[in-house]
Amino acid sequence: MIIQFSKLLPSKGILGLSVLMLASCTAGDGSGLDAGGRPLPPVPPANNDFQQIQATIFTPACTGCHAGASAPQGLRLDAGNSYALLVNVASNEVASLLRVNPGNPDTSYLVQKIQGNAAVGGRMPLGGPPLTQAQIDLVRGWIAAGAPSSAAPADQLQVASTIPAATEQAAAGLGKLTIIFNSDVDSSRVSGNSFELRDASDRLVNASVRVPAGRQNVVEVITPQPLAAGSYQLSVLGDGPAPLADQGGRVLDGDADGKPGGDLLIPFDVKAKEGSVR
Amino acid sequence: MKRVKNLVQLAAAVALFAVAGAVQAEPYLAAQMGLKCAQCHVNPTGGGLRTVFGNTFAQTTLAAKRIGSEEDLWTGQVMKFLSVGGNARANYNFTDVPNQDSTNDFAVEEARAYLDFGVIPNRLSVYIDQRFAPGNATNLEANIRYWITENSIYVKAGRMYLPFGYRLEDDNAFVRQLSGINMQAPDEGVEFGWEAGSWSTQVALSNGTAGAPEADTGKQITARTEYAASVWRVGVSALSNDTDAGDRFGAGLFGAYRLGPVTLLGEVDYFDDDSIGVAGRKLMASLVEADWKVAQGHNLKFTYEWLEPDDDVDEDEQTRTSVLYEWSPIQFVQLRGGVRFYDGIPQNDLQNRTQAFLQLHGFF
Repeated sequence: MIIQFSKLLPSKGILGLSVLMLASCTAGDGSGLDAGGRPLPPVPPANNDFQQIQATIFTPACTGCHAGASAPQGLRLDAGNSYALLVNVASNEVASLLRVNPGNPDTSYLVQKIQGNAAVGGRMPLGGPPLTQAQIDLVRGWIAAGAPSSAAPADQLQVASTIPAATEQAAAGLGKLTIIFNSDVDSSRVSGNSFELRDASDRLVNASVRVPAGRQNVVEVITPQPLAAGSYQLSVLGDGPAPLADQGGRVLDGDADGKPGGDLLIPFDVKAKEGSVR
Repeated sequence: MKRVKNLVQLAAAVALFAVAGAVQAEPYLAAQMGLKCAQCHVNPTGGGLRTVFGNTFAQTTLAAKRIGSEEDLWTGQVMKFLSVGGNARANYNFTDVPNQDSTNDFAVEEARAYLDFGVIPNRLSVYIDQRFAPGNATNLEANIRYWITENSIYVKAGRMYLPFGYRLEDDNAFVRQLSGINMQAPDEGVEFGWEAGSWSTQVALSNGTAGAPEADTGKQITARTEYAASVWRVGVSALSNDTDAGDRFGAGLFGAYRLGPVTLLGEVDYFDDDSIGVAGRKLMASLVEADWKVAQGHNLKFTYEWLEPDDDVDEDEQTRTSVLYEWSPIQFVQLRGGVRFYDGIPQNDLQNRTQAFLQLHGFF
């Protein structure tokens, strides 16, 4: 059968209606949202440099492009991913430079990109106004201070953030949990004795743990298969016979009471894959 | 001398056809002339190096006036097996962000060169798109293209821009931002294409990493098909990316219609992206564009764009309205100027900025 496409040509009325429909969509009024267009959190995050950079620079200015699997150069700058993909991670465009080189803003590729003196490509945000000098200084200051994930000097080893975060619903296919600490951990004490992943029936889930090369303040918990849909709880143990400690020997303050010891519990859910039957 | 004469005759013939109804570098031009991307670009999905036809069109139809002699007609073919081309854009930008001092600057937006080694004419080519500014030289496309059947079925492998929706010059358009497929973010893989009559179809299998090294075993499939009639065209796009960070699916509908001197373009894209955040997001973007050919060499462009960054969140939508004027006084030169109004949530100043620019665009 030969399709006569000319007969499918839309009438001018339909065409006009389509244009009107596309042109009638308007901007939102922002009610109930933060500056990044996300629902306001029930409890405002603590005020420290990195969270301020995330809230005032990365989320509002960068995540239009740098989010998800399509993020240019694989750099995801949405909250929960940005720190782990910036600090001590090599740049794709100039592999000899780290995106964020703690203590060295001038040799951090992130700084070069926002200042406009990077060796490759245009100034970021691409196509948008450059960051203000105050914003650039905020990023430089954070890196010069060692690019900590939290502002306060670490007198205790604590978990700064996790992916997924506590109580969040992770997308289907999750097979790696990332725990970011406020200082470098003693990798010899990173084992199944200091991390536990349990399912909704309190059964231990088989998983391995590792400290990624060059990122001593990060621990990854990796499951051999993507986690099935359901509820889980990750425990980072500061108690027991082999509690986690940093390279200074300070034991994890898991319950954040300012004293060594205590476990951090991170409950989360994994969503079912769309179209699957549970 | 005989070769030059033959070349001029060929170009003149192409030019005559171009005046009768040809195509050019931007989607609105293709829609205005009722032809496919492959008519003016060696890349069947558009953009980059221009064909002999495309270069001739730029000299005889796009520009308000052509200067120089017939012998000076540029075809892009510097020798039998090698074609070259390029683009350079120099901008003066003005930006006004609420609650901030306005800024203005001169900037080189881009300078690119294209090389096409047609080692087997009309069948086998090695193609390179190299950006020389801003910053150091960076390769954006490097691929081998083989026409299995001449001008009909091809396979392309290497680094390339993926087929999805309209290949707009404006990489910051919401529809291009949403898909992540633009002329700043090539991917590596293989593409199959089919050019048949008014149909143009491409399917690509790629890493799906937007230029980053492959990090998992999943791959991205991108597909696009378009039917181009003389006064209207319609097409659909689809994308599926399987990544450890989460699966990503997108679909788009695009089309165009010519109403006398005005050409209307539209595109609507929808994405279900589990790789954003922890819970994933559903996103939408649309584009409406009207191009009015005021006179030969003069184009007034109006665009209205809409972005829904998360369908589960209310009142977070953004719009972008642009008015641009494009003047091509002589061949291979374009003066562009315009203003873009962003409208978004009031608590984000960047989403409510106004940008204006003047641009000198040279191309060949």
